[in-house]
Parts: sequence; C-alpha cells; structure tokens
Amino acid sequence: MKMEAMSLSGLDNTKLEALAHDIYSDLVEDACLGLCFEVHRAVKQGYFFLDETDQDSMKDFEIVDQPGVDIFGQVYNQWKNKECVCPNCSRSIAASRFAPHLEKCLGMGRNSSRIANRRIASSNNMSKSESDQEDNDDINDNDWSYGSEKKAKKRKSDKVFLRSLKQPVLLNPNSPRRSKSLKHKNGELNNNVNTDPYKYNYNSGISYETLGPEELRSLLTTQCGVISEHTKKMCTRSLRCPQHTDEQRRTVRVFLPGPSASTLPDVDAVVESDGYDVSDGQALMNRLQWDGSSDISPSDSASSKASTNNSDSKKPKKKKKPSLGLSSSGTGGTGGGTGGGPGTAGSGSSSQGVLSLPSRKKKPKLPAPPTPSIYDDMN
Amino acid sequence: RRGSSFSSPVVDPAACSHVNGFKVDNWKQNLRVIYRCFVWSGSAETRKRKAKSCVCHVCGAHLSRLHSCLYCVFFGCFAKKHIHEHAKSKRHNLAIDLLYGGIYCFVCQDYIYDKDMEQIAKEEQRKAWKLQAHLFAPAGIGERYSTWEPTKRELELLQHNPKRRRITTNCTIGLRGLINLGNTCFMNCIVQALTHTPLLRDFFLSDRHKCEMKPNSCLVCEMSQLFQEFYSGHRSPHIPFRLLHLVWTHARHLAGYEQQDAHEFLIAALDVLHRHCKGDDNGKKANNPNHCNCIIDQIFTGGLQSDVTCQVCHGVSTTIDPFWDISLDLPGSSTPFWPLSPGSDGSVVNGESQMSGATTLTDCLRRFTRPEHLGSSAKIKCSGCHSYQESTKQLTMKKLPIVACFHLKRFEHSAKLRRKITTYVSFPLELDMTPFMASSKESRMNGQYQQSMDTLNNDNKYSLFAVVNHQGTLESGHYTTFIRQHKDQWFKCDDAIITKASIKDVLDSEGYLLFYHKQFLEYE
Repeated sequence: MKMEAMSLSGLDNTKLEALAHDIYSDLVEDACLGLCFEVHRAVKQGYFFLDETDQDSMKDFEIVDQPGVDIFGQVYNQWKNKECVCPNCSRSIAASRFAPHLEKCLGMGRNSSRIANRRIASSNNMSKSESDQEDNDDINDNDWSYGSEKKAKKRKSDKVFLRSLKQPVLLNPNSPRRSKSLKHKNGELNNNVNTDPYKYNYNSGISYETLGPEELRSLLTTQCGVISEHTKKMCTRSLRCPQHTDEQRRTVRVFLPGPSASTLPDVDAVVESDGYDVSDGQALMNRLQWDGSSDISPSDSASSKASTNNSDSKKPKKKKKPSLGLSSSGTGGTGGGTGGGPGTAGSGSSSQGVLSLPSRKKKPKLPAPPTPSIYDDMN
Repeated sequence: RRGSSFSSPVVDPAACSHVNGFKVDNWKQNLRVIYRCFVWSGSAETRKRKAKSCVCHVCGAHLSRLHSCLYCVFFGCFAKKHIHEHAKSKRHNLAIDLLYGGIYCFVCQDYIYDKDMEQIAKEEQRKAWKLQAHLFAPAGIGERYSTWEPTKRELELLQHNPKRRRITTNCTIGLRGLINLGNTCFMNCIVQALTHTPLLRDFFLSDRHKCEMKPNSCLVCEMSQLFQEFYSGHRSPHIPFRLLHLVWTHARHLAGYEQQDAHEFLIAALDVLHRHCKGDDNGKKANNPNHCNCIIDQIFTGGLQSDVTCQVCHGVSTTIDPFWDISLDLPGSSTPFWPLSPGSDGSVVNGESQMSGATTLTDCLRRFTRPEHLGSSAKIKCSGCHSYQESTKQLTMKKLPIVACFHLKRFEHSAKLRRKITTYVSFPLELDMTPFMASSKESRMNGQYQQSMDTLNNDNKYSLFAVVNHQGTLESGHYTTFIRQHKDQWFKCDDAIITKASIKDVLDSEGYLLFYHKQFLEYE
C-alpha cells in the first residue's frame, strides 16, 4: 500500500469507517508485536521462567474468609505461649509480658530508678547473687512465668521464709496489713502516690524504698518502722507498737539507713537479700555513726524536732542511700490483651512490696558519690 | 578496519558475535541518530519526518514491520522480506525494527540483545519520552516506567529456588498478626498501618536503607526486618519485641508500660525513623526537617502554611511549618466546632449551631482551614503597623505529603474534663485536598477559583488505605486497624488476629487515625 496524502473531506461514512478500522487493526497488531518482543526478549535473556510459580505452595497462601478463623485459617487466641529474648538483659520473657518487663529493664517505670541505683551500686559486685536478686523482681512481676501470680508469690515467700529463719524479726504473719495488700494486688487504679513526700500508701504502710535517708531517719524517730515481711512496708504505728519488738525496731534502724562507705562490713554473702544476720547488724551498729538505738527509745517519740537535728548532724557522714531493695510495679491482672487508651496517668500498679531489704554487698565500699544514673531523669 | 575497542568477548547468549563488525568507528553516534530519527520520535517534526521518509524502498509500504539497515540508509519491510533481500545482497547483516527498536541479525536469523546497543536505545528512548511529556497533565510524566529485570546473579538465585510464589490478590503474603506484648496494641496498630504503606513497603523490600549506625540500634533496620517478616510467608503472628525495645530506647518520653496513645506512638516512631535514616542517633533534631531527604520525609512530611493577617493594614505574615499529621477538632469537644468564623467559603452562616447529617472529614478540614479571629486578648505585633493589632489566622496546606495522616482528636484532656468523644465522623474512600491548599486559597482571593478545575488536577487526590480505631474509654481501651491490600481488599488487624473486612466495615467505623495515600505519584 503506497502512502499518499489524502483529504478526508468528500469521503463518505463507509470509507471513513474503513479507514478507521484499518488504523485500529494496525494499532492492535503493533501492540501484539510489542508483546511478542517482550516475551522473546525474556526468553532470550533467560528470565522468562520467572513467571512460573509453584502452584501447590501458592494454595497454602490463599486467604481464608470464614468465621472463627483468621485469614490464615487459624483459630483465634492460640498464641499464649510465645516467648522472646529481652535485648537488654538477654532473658527469656513471655511475649505478652514483655512490655512490663522491658519497662523495668530499661529503667523507665516509676520505681525503676531505685532498681537502677541498686544495680549500679552493686555493679562492682558481679556475683551470682546479683542476678538472683533480679530473679526476685521478675518472679514477683510474673514476667516470665505463666503460673498464677499466687504461685509465684508463694515461691517468693517460701524463699524469704527460709532465709529468715535466723531472724524471725522480719516475719510478720499476723500483720493486719497483709490482707490489705493482697486486696490491692490486681492492678486497680491507685491514687498517684508520688505526690506525697513519704510516698505513703494508706493501704499498706510506707514503702521504705521510696524514702531518702533524711526522710527515713526522721520517720524512724517517730514510728515503729519494722518492715512487714508480707507487704515489705514499714509499720507506721508508734514507737511503742505492740506488734513488733524493740529488737526488731533496733534491727531496722541499724540496717535501713544504709551502710556508709567506710563502715560497711563485709557482710557475708547470703544469696537472696531477703534477710540478714543479726550478728552482722550488731557489728554494723557499733560502727555506724548514727546510733540508731538511742533514737528508738520510747521516750523520744515526741521529739521529732530533736531527731531532725540529729539526722542533720549525721548528714555529712552518710552517703546517699544507693539502693534499697527493689520495688515492684507488678501490674497484676490487667495486663495482656487490652491495649491502650491514650496516654493517661497510670493504670493501676499495685503496690506489692516486693522486696526486701537493702542488698548486701560483698565489698564494703560503695562507689563514691553515686553518679547520676541515666535513669534518674526518668522519674 | 580497525577492531572495535568496545567489543568484548561475547559470553551472553542473547547477543551475537556478528555485531562486532558493526561496532567500529563512530558506531555509537550513528546508532543514536537512527534511534532518534527513525525509532523514538520525540517531537512533532521527527514524527512527521518518520512518517514521510520511512517507507519501504522496494514497495513503498510503511506498515509491514519496517526495518532500517544499520549499515546504510535503506528501509525495507520485514513482512515481505525486502529487508532480507537487502541484507543478503549488500552483506549488511544487521537491521533495526522501527517500531520497537529491536536489532535483528540476519546471520543468527533472530533478534539479538547486545548490552551496549541496548544502553543507547534506552537512553534515546528516555530522551524522546521527556520531549513528549508536555502532552500529559501539567505535572508531566518525567520517566517512563520500565519493568524490573534481574541481574545475572539474581537470575542464578531465582533458578536455584524454583518454589516461587507470586503475590496475587488472593494471597496472604504481606499480612501478618502481631503479638500484644502487654498493652502494646497502640504500637501494633501503627505497625500495621506503616507496613501497608505502599511506598514504604517498596522502599524496604528493595533494600534501600543503608545503615550508618551501630548494629542492633537502628530503628530503620528493624523496620526493614519487619517487612521481611511480613513477606516471609509465616502465618504465626510476629513478636515485635525488638521494635518496642528500640522505640523505647530512642524515644524515652514514651513513658513505659502504661497504656499509650497510638497517635503519640506514630509521631515518636516517625521521628526516630527520620533520625536514624540519616545515621544520626544522638537525638539531635534535624536542623531543618524540610531539607531532609530521607524516606520518611519524602513520604510523610508536608508543609502547613499559617497566614496571620493584620486587621488594620491587611498585611500578611506567612510561616510554613512541616507536619507529619493533621490533628482535627471534632464537634462535641469543648472547643466550639460550629459556627465557622465568617470569611470562610461562605457555606455556613454564623450562628448556625449544628449541621444536619453526620459530620464529615471534609467538614473537619474546612474548620481546620477556616480563618480564625485571634481576638483582642491575643494581639500580634504587626510589622506593617509597628504595633499590636488584632488579626486573623488561617491555616492551609502548602505542600501535601504523599501519605497524609488525619488525627481525629477524640480524647479530651482539658482541666476539668477527661473524656472520649465518640461522635461519628464520616470519611471518604477518595479525598480531594484541593480546596484546602494554600494555592486554592490564593486563587480564591484573586477571584480565580473555579470548581471545575478540581477534577482535572490529579495532584491532590488521595485514597484511604488504613484506619486506626479505638474502642473503649479514655482509661482503658483497645486499638485495631483496617488496612487495604491489592487495591480493594480490606483487612482488620486486631493484634494477632487478621480477618477479612468489607469496605462498609471500614467506612462505618469510628475512625481515630486516617491514612490517605496520594493517588498519582510523580517522579522527581
């Protein structure tokens, strides 16, 4: 067909249609040719086979759209036992509890600076005891156990009981506070305890870990202060409180304010920090600048002012208490499935007094002035 | 004849050795000319010339698969073998197809693919395409899309792995559940939205991230890993514990374990990703987020224009701030939604208390971009008047991001009031942002605003692709996400459980975070 210019005017419809049809079929043919070239090239370059897929295995990936199962055909809620390894501490943690674990592990929770301080203070002491102490936190927080909270708690108390055989002072099975603390264990919304300088939780006594040395000392001049084994809180009754003995009170006053760097004896390494030896305490007492025993005399109960002076005078000799046991913000029952509301003030963390007494350190010396922890600004 | 310095030992089965005779002297330029004039006609003149001159020298035909000889000026049709006759008689063994630019070797009797020659062909094609770009929409096309071709190495790998699966519309690959790590559904819902952001998916699946950070500390690397997990074909839900760890490590202000806000998490995650994209992990904010060219900025960063107009001298002070999301007030909150201030596009009369029908996303956007009297207690220093004057402020979009995230402010945290606003807001599947653009405002002010222009301009058209919903109360609730796959399929992501959803489910849902993706993307 020769190419020639032609005018479209003067052509009737049939001719125009025929022309249009010609153009159309040319275009279609060109398009087909293009496809042929593509295939030809793919074959020659060797990638044509890529179009082939494995039909059988593709069947495995078809979307399922039926009630009761997800798109993979799996029944809901079968993923309870997933675990993962914490990038921070390398422990194996139940996946559904990973967030609360990580919060503590990274030092982001409300109580984490205490944990951090304690760990820093004992970082010189890289014994197994440290890791076991961490075990304690986690047991109580149920991070890595699927067992019921009760079970874990029980384990803890068992240990404590054993350790404390030497010192019944710390056991207080009859404390009325025990039941109260159990009541609040399941993550109810607590009032924000941070507003009160003593972090006083009306339900179960004072969390001694949250107190600074000053506060502690002045507190101990007016109140009983014996730590309940079950709630880990200090008794807030008077210095004459019938629940506890003077011996217990003395012990607490010796131990709690924390050893000062120069005088901390090389206390023998009991693995758990749940209890301590009375004998060590006595030795401590002798060396401590602040003679606790004088303060707990019942006659001092009214002299809070005097005690303040007292503690002030001791101030230069005391280092800031590095750590006092661990706290738990064991979240109790509401964790798990339901997720977020928008950032709000704390959903309930129960105040289970997890731990225990200040850790015992192998080395007498504390690291000199505790350097600000990187976790400090978290609180 | 001197030997061509360009010829290499032919190992490639797709090429042939007979091209070596051609690759001499100025062969490259000659070939370019042939492509430019006779194959890819970029301009009107070349098209005319091609139409007029490219006819078979034997029979005059121009449509029967015309070929040009590579050695001399001869056009011959293939269908009738006129080019074959020429090749035989002149011993010119190479010809080029004028329609698609393929090179035919008469010795091999097949089309051949030579790397160097193909390179030239591609370049010339690109040039021609650019010349034609003016024909298309104002924005132009730029680059022509070319399909992916595997390299030799990739070919080997693919050959060794014959169990290939293609992702069809009925395929679960790309979808995966996420384990809740303890009140972490706020994170899971955002992860689902991000992993189904098409551009982000493409970026990560093509391995575009080059990490400059210490191993295991980069959130972008973790994101990349996340995509690998989603496309792995695994059916069990993924445990995003490393992701949580990295986000909390790098965004300390996210306060730990308590129930958190998905919107806050989104912004924090984007921020960390943006920082890590530049290899800078010491927490410094980018000097000017507008100038960063990381993938996060390319996809998510838009520009919000704020115009403050002095009521006295009518001077306008303009600032443009980058944004990653637009937070919209809802009716029912303590800040008044209606009536709109006067001076808006006039559709609402001052004093009207409530519009009939459901509030729409467009209503919220209209409210967001309305001029607002700042009042006598908030006078602004006017540089024109040199004194404090009352003014109006108006927000408009200067530059739209590729992915626009709308945050419906459902959580009220005022001094006395803490509640969730559950007002239903209807949102569309397709959204045109043109009325809210700064440029539209300017045209309106200049009296040029025409409704009809909107439909032609594709720049501002968006499609919904993810919806994050919150069920429950302020104190305790649960987040889920609807995501879109394969154009029109929707899925509901509820932590570890992924199920199919209908478009109706999606559009009827309450909506908390709405993710829209630009419909038309341009190459830069």
